[in-house]
Amino acid sequence: MAQIFHPGADTRLRLAMVALGGGLVLLFVAGDRFFGSDWFTGRGDHPAQPVPFSHQHHVAGLGIDCRYCHDQVERTATAGYPPTYTCMSCHSQIWTGAPVLAPVRASLAHDEPIRWQKVYDLPDFVYFDHAIHLKGGVGCSTCHGRVDRMPITAQAAPLTMGWCLSCHRDPAPHLRDPADLFAMDWQPGPDQRQKGEARMARLGIEPARLQNCYTCHR
Amino acid sequence: MTGRPEREIAALRAQLQGERGPRLWRSLEEIAESPAFARVLGAEFGGFALPEAGRRDVLRAMAASILLAGLPGCGKGPPDAVLPRVADPADDPPPDRPRQYATAVTFEGFARPVLATTYAGRPVKLEGNPDHPASRGATDAFTQAAVLELYDPDRSQSPTLLGKESGWDQAVQAMVTARRDWLRNGGEGVRLLVEPTTSPTFRRQIEALRQQLPQLRLHAFEPVGKERREAAARLAFGRPLALRYALEHAAVVVSLEDDLLGPGPAQVDHALGWSARRRGGHDAGAEAIRLHVAESTPTLTGAMADTRRIVPSARIPALVAVLAAALGRDGAPAAPELSADERGFVSSWASELRAHRGEALLAVGAHQPPEVQALALRVNAQLGQLGRTLLASEPVVWPGAEAAGTLQELVADMAAGRVQALVVLGANPAYTAPGDLDFTAALQKVPWRLHAGLHRDETAGFCHWHLPLAHPLESWSDARTVDGTATILQPTVRPLFGGRSVHEVVALLAGDPWARDREIVRATWRDRLDDDAWRAALRQGFVPGTAAAPVGDLAPSPAPIGLPPAGGDRGLEVVIRPDPSIWDGRFANCAWLQELPKPLTKLTWDNVLLVSPALAAERGLATGDVARITLGDRELRGPVWVQPGQAAHTVTAHLGYGRKRIGRVGQGIGYDAYAFRASTKPWLGTGAEIAATGDRHELATTQPHHRMDEYRPVRLVAPGKALEARPEEENQASLYPDWDYPEIAWAMVIDLDLCIGCNACVLACQAENNVPSVGKHEIGMGREMHWLRVDAYHDGDPLDPSFYFQPVPCMHCEKAPCEVGCPVNAAVHTPDGLNAQVYNRCVGTRTCSSYCPYKVRRFNWFEYAKPAEPIVAAHYNPEVTVRARGVMEKCTYCIQRIARARIDAALEDRPLKGSDVITACAAVCPTTAIRFGDRNDGASEVARAQKSPRHYGLLEELGVRPRTTYLARIADQGEKGEG
Repeated sequence: MAQIFHPGADTRLRLAMVALGGGLVLLFVAGDRFFGSDWFTGRGDHPAQPVPFSHQHHVAGLGIDCRYCHDQVERTATAGYPPTYTCMSCHSQIWTGAPVLAPVRASLAHDEPIRWQKVYDLPDFVYFDHAIHLKGGVGCSTCHGRVDRMPITAQAAPLTMGWCLSCHRDPAPHLRDPADLFAMDWQPGPDQRQKGEARMARLGIEPARLQNCYTCHR
Repeated sequence: MTGRPEREIAALRAQLQGERGPRLWRSLEEIAESPAFARVLGAEFGGFALPEAGRRDVLRAMAASILLAGLPGCGKGPPDAVLPRVADPADDPPPDRPRQYATAVTFEGFARPVLATTYAGRPVKLEGNPDHPASRGATDAFTQAAVLELYDPDRSQSPTLLGKESGWDQAVQAMVTARRDWLRNGGEGVRLLVEPTTSPTFRRQIEALRQQLPQLRLHAFEPVGKERREAAARLAFGRPLALRYALEHAAVVVSLEDDLLGPGPAQVDHALGWSARRRGGHDAGAEAIRLHVAESTPTLTGAMADTRRIVPSARIPALVAVLAAALGRDGAPAAPELSADERGFVSSWASELRAHRGEALLAVGAHQPPEVQALALRVNAQLGQLGRTLLASEPVVWPGAEAAGTLQELVADMAAGRVQALVVLGANPAYTAPGDLDFTAALQKVPWRLHAGLHRDETAGFCHWHLPLAHPLESWSDARTVDGTATILQPTVRPLFGGRSVHEVVALLAGDPWARDREIVRATWRDRLDDDAWRAALRQGFVPGTAAAPVGDLAPSPAPIGLPPAGGDRGLEVVIRPDPSIWDGRFANCAWLQELPKPLTKLTWDNVLLVSPALAAERGLATGDVARITLGDRELRGPVWVQPGQAAHTVTAHLGYGRKRIGRVGQGIGYDAYAFRASTKPWLGTGAEIAATGDRHELATTQPHHRMDEYRPVRLVAPGKALEARPEEENQASLYPDWDYPEIAWAMVIDLDLCIGCNACVLACQAENNVPSVGKHEIGMGREMHWLRVDAYHDGDPLDPSFYFQPVPCMHCEKAPCEVGCPVNAAVHTPDGLNAQVYNRCVGTRTCSSYCPYKVRRFNWFEYAKPAEPIVAAHYNPEVTVRARGVMEKCTYCIQRIARARIDAALEDRPLKGSDVITACAAVCPTTAIRFGDRNDGASEVARAQKSPRHYGLLEELGVRPRTTYLARIADQGEKGEG
């Protein structure tokens, strides 16, 4: 009767087991890389807009405050896109005939909204609130990046749940003074942790509560 | 149930008697413990019992579902566009913040004052107007459903001519041409059929129209109207009056088939008054309201009564006559003979009424003959109740009998060819006219017919022209509540489907096609309200000081009142009632209301013929058998429902079903009781026969679903007594460490002594939390999605049981089994004591539901929330996730309101208080039976209620420490076996 197992059967089995184990690890690593990649999360994406609006020009070049256009941001969940009127408050005086602004003028003339494309698009089961983040001391650039250096607005953060939680678990390094909220070039100082923790204590911000599911999901 | 009737009923009774201690039962099948019923109970979700399949089929299905399970989570979906406004929205609230408008929706012409919550210009939820005396924040179930009615894609979308789509321009042209003819002879032969209304503007417009066309005749018809009560007022006092009960001033109420607490225009008003008195009585030690009811078919009023007597509907006149003879001084007709039993309770009620002179009330159903009601009104007047428990005022509804003809007169004139043109405003007589009138045959003799309504309904199908009306939430109008207080209705959204308001249509009839509803309504109020007062009235939701003027010094007219001849004793009596969920059929196309379990039967999507267990046993009928009722030459076929507490020889038929043209939701279901109705005796037919046809009809009821293993779910306590603690309640040990709730601990206490089972909370929850409807088939599978259910229990003899209601939301247990059971940690505990459900984590194992002892979790089997048409999605509350399929969901204590309040408090630098949040169910409750708040705050209502001697929890022996608890119902005798 012939041998059932080949002399190398043991070796093959061991190799197969190592390959399986290694493959699993590789799969997880690859999966992590893939789901964390900019391609998947959309970081760096800059959807085409009907008007090539440049934050760089308006913020860095002209020094317009964020709240001139996003005027609801301190009061409500969404920062609010400016109505066409806000654009025209300047552009009825300057660049009145610029071809790139034709859609803005058409919007006003025909009373039809401009169809901007969302750059930061959260899933529908996530309830983000701008106002409460500003109140807590999270400034614009923490999530939106250096908008003042963006000729075309791009998504600066991965917007994954892990990224959200990294701050909800430990907000202290990101919390600013109210005066600095809209500063684009804000950098944490050496005493940031103390300042951040003092702010948390004053406002009663507790990471334990921030990590609750129902903080963002309802 | 077949075989010998006596034996079967005896068997049911024996089954109950064999129990040790008290036992509450939900249905007759449950007492009989039929095998089919046991199967339904055994399955976690009734419909998930596996089909007769082999092992391999099951494995195959499992493999496929595992493969499919992950798919919905993949992909990011299409990119979103953002459309900011063009104009500067400086005056507008931010788009993601709700804005509330004080307005009203109407029901049978009466206003139901609401605050309409709108997001970005679309109304999503109606709250009762807390400042309005007739609402105080509460509404009924119909009002909650008005939002879905607004977005109904089956609503009429354009004018039609002979069934073909036309436009408003053509319609206006046709009207102008028709008017030219009418003006030639002063409107001779022109008829206007309206539903009675309370709108001062509508009245002003019609009266102006009659100036133009003096020969125009007006007819009014309401299928479930109160014209018999108006006639009774005229009989008793010799003048038209609006009559209203003030239950808050009543110590004793004797209701003879008057469903005070049941659905109807006055439900909220009555519930507010009754509950204020009942709660005040029990809590403050004052005299509680006593409610005695005699009725043929069980109602919510009967369920809440201190004593309930079952009498045939045809016996009510005799009871009233005897009461009148016992109490009244003059003018009472000769008292007929009563049985010994009837004499007993009637004389005790009479002496109670006499003892509480001035704070008693004798209420007789509005469907009883006018003479009978007039007799009762006279008794009330003689006992000095006018102006105290019975309020009389100038009429609120218009047109009354003085100003308008009846439907019968209209049909007679149409049949005789005396009508040249007919305009039907809002009404739907082709469906709602009693069958013996043969309305449609007469209608077709009219050469020019126009119908205006929300839907292209049956009447629209018989008219040349049909015009779409705008919904009350999309138009300017005005209306009055039952007490006469006027509300200006303001639109919350532009007409979605191109309808025009009824005022614009009347203006069109009056030759002014350009009038806009806002100006028309403003003109009505110009004299009374200057611009500031107008704005104030809009802001607060009513015009102060417009309550109907009370009529003092009413003298009962001395003329003797004779009773109508009693029907024969032979055969059965058929009583006809509006359906508790879809009323007279006007709500037939509203899926929320179709799927709302009817208060006592928990039936959905159907109407049935209610028969008593005795009659069922006698005739060999069982629930679900199709039976034929014959009465003279009229016939009605419908499925039977064996109803405990029904009078032995009374069959109840419900209106509102059997619609032929309304929309995809409501047509073609149930039987049409209007066709069976007689115009002379619209509410009661005597001498009928019932027989089984041999057919069966599948009925979808939620009654056997979600049963808890609790032997005393509803507890009773004698007045002034405390509940005796159950021994197992002391054993609250747990293996798990205790949570501490340092800040807020949310809790809910539901007072079963006040819950009238009206279902308003169920629909408020559905509207607030984006709970989808699932349809009749899915209900039959046990898959209803209501987060909050109202259980109905029976106690005692199946022929004459007591009824109890118990709303059951999530218990938010402190030691929640669901949290332990979830393999992916989607059921989590929050620091304020909620059992949160994380939809995006849930993979749909349904373990939590099988672990839940209260059966409050709901699984979304299919894409139930996917709207049939895009416009329907507009009713979704943007603050709440719309759940996808494969996800478990349940009551969240309205977590979105808590989150909102928490953020608002933080923005305003103040701590969150328990009183900042109220759940949708608690807000809407017309009896304030549901209380919600912070248990840690000793001064809060819930904390105080938890210290009540009536306080208890469900299944306390499990030691799960539910956060939703109950207050026992107060009953004279307390619990059976109680000391």
